[in-house]
Order: sequence, then C-alpha cells, then structure tokens
Amino acid sequence: MDFDFNEEQYVFQETFKNFLSEQYPLEKHIALVDSGERNGELWSQLVELGLFSLIVPEEFGGLGMSFVDMALIMEELGKSLVPPPVTETIIASDLIARFGTDDQKNHYLPDLAEGKLKFSLAMLEESAGFHPADGETTIAPTVGGFVVNGKKILVPQADAVDAILVVGKMADTGNLAVAIVAPGSEGVALRKHSALDDSCYFHEVSFDNVKLAGEKLLSSQGSAIGERLFDVSAAINATQLVGIAGRMLDIAVDYACQREQFGVPIGSFQAIKHKCANIAVDVDGGRSAAYYAMWTIAEDAPDRAKAVSVAKSFCGEAARLANNDGIQIHGGMGFTWELGLHHYLRRTKVLEYSAGDVAYHRERVMAETLAELSL
Amino acid sequence: MDFKYSAEEQQFRDELRQWLSENLPKGWGETVFEPEDEDEMYLSRLEWEKKLYKGGWSGIEWPKKYGGRGATLIEQAIFAEEMARAKAPEGLNIIGRNLVATTLLHHGTEEQRLRYLPKILSGDEVWCQGFSEPNAGSDLASVRCKAELKGDHFVVNGQKIWTSYGQYAQWCIVLVRTNSEVAKHKGISFLLVDMRSPGVTLRPLKQISGESEFNETFFDNVEVPLENLVGELNGGWKIAMTTLAYERGPEDALGRQIRFKQELDRLIHTLSQLQRNDRAIIEDPVVRQKVAKSIVDLEVMRLNVLRRFSKALKGEPRGPDASMVKLYWSHIMQNMYEMALEVLGPLASLTEGDSLAAAMGRYQLSYLQSRAFTIYSGSSEIQRNIIAERVLGLPK
Repeated sequence: MDFDFNEEQYVFQETFKNFLSEQYPLEKHIALVDSGERNGELWSQLVELGLFSLIVPEEFGGLGMSFVDMALIMEELGKSLVPPPVTETIIASDLIARFGTDDQKNHYLPDLAEGKLKFSLAMLEESAGFHPADGETTIAPTVGGFVVNGKKILVPQADAVDAILVVGKMADTGNLAVAIVAPGSEGVALRKHSALDDSCYFHEVSFDNVKLAGEKLLSSQGSAIGERLFDVSAAINATQLVGIAGRMLDIAVDYACQREQFGVPIGSFQAIKHKCANIAVDVDGGRSAAYYAMWTIAEDAPDRAKAVSVAKSFCGEAARLANNDGIQIHGGMGFTWELGLHHYLRRTKVLEYSAGDVAYHRERVMAETLAELSL
Repeated sequence: MDFKYSAEEQQFRDELRQWLSENLPKGWGETVFEPEDEDEMYLSRLEWEKKLYKGGWSGIEWPKKYGGRGATLIEQAIFAEEMARAKAPEGLNIIGRNLVATTLLHHGTEEQRLRYLPKILSGDEVWCQGFSEPNAGSDLASVRCKAELKGDHFVVNGQKIWTSYGQYAQWCIVLVRTNSEVAKHKGISFLLVDMRSPGVTLRPLKQISGESEFNETFFDNVEVPLENLVGELNGGWKIAMTTLAYERGPEDALGRQIRFKQELDRLIHTLSQLQRNDRAIIEDPVVRQKVAKSIVDLEVMRLNVLRRFSKALKGEPRGPDASMVKLYWSHIMQNMYEMALEVLGPLASLTEGDSLAAAMGRYQLSYLQSRAFTIYSGSSEIQRNIIAERVLGLPK
C-alpha cells in the first residue's frame, strides 16, 4: 500500500513544471491564442521532452509508462493551460495501444511516440447526454469497411489534426466503437464554434456517409473501448482541473501577500485568509481524488468507473471554487481582460462540461454505490 | 503507487478478523447493541478496551517496548477497517491512547512512559484533556489556570472547560500558566494531573444533543508532584501542539471516516426501503445527487488520509497540514448529517423512541452531535488561520 509517487515520477513532474514555467507562461499562452497560430513551437518542444512517447509501449518506440506516471505531468499541463490536442493525442495512444490490432499499433504508435501525429476526440453531441452511449452517431459495416454518420460538437482543433477519434454505435451490434477519421475525408464537414475558450478551437463536425477502410476502426469486447475513452478523458480532465485550481491558489496567495489596502497586505485579513484556506483544502482533496482515479485508469481497476466519477465531480467543484474565489480575491483587477485570470476560468468551464459534469458523475457514483451494496 | 496489501499485511488482517469474530458477542451490530444508558454505554466501552488489551490488540502502533506491536501506519489502517467491518464499539480511553500516549512518546521521560503507558494500554487508567478554559478557547495560549512551583510540587488553581470523559478519568493532561511575565505562549507548562487529588471537582455540562459527555473542571489548590511535568518548565506550548497535531491528524480521521461510511451506507439502505410518492426515496434524482455528494466527500476523506500515511511512512514530518485534514472532514460530515435529515423529508423531525422514526432516530442524534465537529480541537476559523499562515505563508 503506497499512495504516493516515486522519486522518478517527481523528477518528471519537475522537468515539465520547469519547462512550462519558462517556455509557456500565461503571457505566452495569451500571445499564442491572439496570434491564431495552433501549437506554435510548443508542440515540438513537448515532443523534444518526450511527452508523447511516455505511455507508448516500448516495442513501439515509447517508454511504456502508465497513467500513474502521467498524473503529475497532466496536472502541470492543466496548470499551464496547454491547449489541445496534446492530451487528446495521448488518449489516442492509450486507446490504440489497448484496443488496436497489431497492424494498427504498428501503423500509429511509432509515429505517435515521436509526436508526428495529432489526434482529436469527438464524443459530445447536441441532443445527447455526456456518455458516448447516449449519442446517435453510427458506424455501419459495409463491404470492405465502414460508414460513419452523425454530428459531433466541441471537437477541439478539429481542423488542425491528422485524425479525429469518433465514438459511435455499431449499427449491427449497438456496441460502442471508435472510428479514426481524417478531417479532410469525403463527407466530413467542419464548422468552427464560438465557444468559451478560444485556445481550444472547438468545431462542430458532421459525418455524412463517411466511408472508411476496415483498418480505421477500433473496437473491443462489448463497449469497453467507449467506456475507457470516457473514463480516461474524465480522469485526465479532473487532473487538469485540479492543476488549474492549484495554480489559481498560488496566484491568489501571491497577490494577497503583495496587494496592500488599509496599509497592510490584504492577505493579513481573515476574510482573505479563509478563502485561501478553503481553496487549499479543496485542491488537496482534488489531488487525492484525481491521483487515485489515474491509478485505477492505469490498472484498469474494478472500481475505475466510481473512482473516475468521484474525481471528476470533486475536481469540477474544486476548480469552480478556486477560480471564483481566486478572481474575487483580486478585486477589480481580477475582472480585467488584461490580467488574464479569465483564461483559467474559461478552460475550467470547458473541462468541467466535458466528459461528464458534476451532476452526471454524482449520479454515476450513486449507481455504482447501489450496485456495490447490492441494492 | 500501489493499493495492494502485502502478504504480511493480509495475515495481520486475517488474524484480527478471526479474533474479532471470536470476541464480539454473537449477533453484534445486528441484534445485539451497546447499552442505551449513557453511563452503562461508556463503561461497556471500557470493558471492550480491556478485552482488546488482553487479546493484544490495544495500542498496536506503540513500540513493543511499551506493550504495543510496533504496527505500521498501514496496519493501523487495516485495524481501523476491520474494527469498523465488525461494527466493534469505540473505546472510552480515546484521549489516553491517541493523545496522551503519543505526546509522552514524543516528549515524556522514560520514567513517565513506563509509569503511564502500560495503564493506558490496559484500560486501568482513563485520561481526559484540560486545555480549554472559559476565556481560552480559540486563543488557547491565553490559559490562566495557574501552577506555582513550591519545592517538589506545583500548586494548581483555576478552571478548565469541555473536559470530555472527565467523570470516567483518573488522569488529565493540563495546560497551566507557570509564568505571567513573558509572551503568553512562553509561560505555559504541560502537567499530568491525578483527578483523584484533593481540590479537583467536576461539574457536568449538558450538550445540545442532550448528552453529558463533557464537564467543567475546577482546580482548588491541587498539589501536583514536580515529576508530573512533561518537558521543560514553560515549554508546554510546543508539547500541546504535538497533542493537537495528533488530535487533528490522519489517524484520527481514518477511524472516523470508517464509522461515517457505515452511517452513510446505513442511510442508503434506509432510503432504499422507505417509500415516498410511491417509490423508494433513493429513486428520487434530487435525493441521489445529495447522497452522492456525501459518498464522494467521504471517499476523498479516505484518500486524503491514505496519502498522508504514505508521506509519513517516508518520514515526512507532521505539521500544520493536520489542520487541512480536520477542516475538511468536519465540514463534509456536518453536511452529511444535515443531508441525512433533509432526505428523510417529513420524517426528519422524529427522534429515537418514536415508532415512525427512520433508522431508529439515529441520524437526528448524530446531526445534533455533528454541530461540535467544527468547534472542537480548534474551530474551523482557527484551522483556516493555521492553514493560511503556516501552510500557505500568508502574513499574520
């Protein structure tokens, strides 16, 4: 029994933390968004650091690490608002490594490990709930391949990736499967959303009889692949949310130590102290929940669904508190566009409402608990 | 990171489970319960503690030298889990085992440890805690209860308040003022006071739950031998901080988490049986959201504790971080009991003794008791100050 990271995992965290604070501070993020450029040099720098090779199995050119090894790194990526499709591409590596055929693994994983491929994820639909099984997108077998039909929303960077992982229901079995669709394929139409976080480049993507060769389909026993895609996404989002909450806490504490009113730093007032303490307690609990969820993802533990839902619902609320009170502590400055706290707030909202919101995950925790208690 | 137990840990668990099945009365927690009378209940808890001692299951984390098993934190976690699984009673000498013993292990002399620890372990001597005073609550360092050193003994005069289990205790750890000339936290000493000494009187205080667990304690020219001083004269503040770090820390929280979890599971059972508007209450989506929030909160409480155990096992010192543990659990548990009443709807006001009371009225009593969580061992306001100043580094 050991609920802590090992020295190597902390070293990796330090590496990414130092890199991001030097190379991708908030000003750089803002400049990147303003320029309209996609990942700029950030992507190639992350490739150089080896980020995309970490969870790729060794036989395909990766380091064969797990999501436990990734947890602290994901927290750092969240903290620094690293934009899509970084985590989406890592999730794609996991799905292909776990569910891909030998040919698919050989085809995609070495390039993924080297950062040569960018993947996006298409899960949400306009009139469906959060879970992929609620969606109406279909994948129908045809001679020599498959046909995808449906419409997804909030697909990040859909116009700037090599492929989109589209989750849908198999027309014959009703099981969830994932189609690998290049955004330029015939029958694919993109419309850029107007959305809360400009750095995500969200798109609505329609699939109108998109024909795919058989090797572009990832499938599993039953709907396991769809369940895993959902859980991995939710766990990573939760970890990123707690990263943002921790960053907001640091920023608020720094500001409260410097900003003077009534002749003293505002951080000496209990009204401010107590807000900071409450955020700290939530960040601490959020870390416990997110790290454990990442462990269940790594181990495919039997309590994975519950652990992920505990984390996503808890971290969603923790990040809310951290952003709301973090901005409040800054007073009028917190409300200015220029100071830039809204970038954290905006990303928080986007993560909070993807892969299941607080209410969705609470209901899932309730259902899992009743099953545990045989009620 | 690894959540599996080793073979030794598993063996520890099996052995304990076996012992519990042989030593708890048949039907315990199902058809046989603790006595309803408060006095009888506390004394039965002391009997249970003595039984644990005879079986070698008391003070398991203490060094073997003082009668413990030298159990690891993980074994302590297993112990708490198994006690909860068996619905075993709590003990009475909680302050003795968890606070006095740990404080003496850190700051006591070898003579003090050999004198006091074995009798805490055996349940022969029950302890209480004399820290708070009518005018020293959140501002604990302003204690006025005075001890004057006269030759080989102190003479103690003053009053303490909220003395839990004082009526069952033989001994009390008392914070006293031994110097009024210096900064207030530099003139405090930490004494071990025999409650049977002439001049000690107790007056029970009735709590909002209707129970009388705690007391006012008066010291009127009470003589305390010099050898009952823990640490240095006027060095008591630091020692009290050690005591409080254990009172607020993860070991304490783990035991509670497991009991709270049982209460929550029982609530879910109750909500599955009770009908409202032609369906089980637990089918109501609004109720499900509220119950699930408490499930999430309690699971995070468990994970918070395990994370701290792992840090402690690597030798990281305990400190103000304990305030985060206590602040968190005290609020989520108040929320849970408040929620428990809320989801019972019109039945919420019916208490123990009424034939219609849900779950025999247990949640109404727990709800009333829970109001103390955010007040005792440092109010939430004090915990937030500690976190802000000593964890986050905000200015005083």
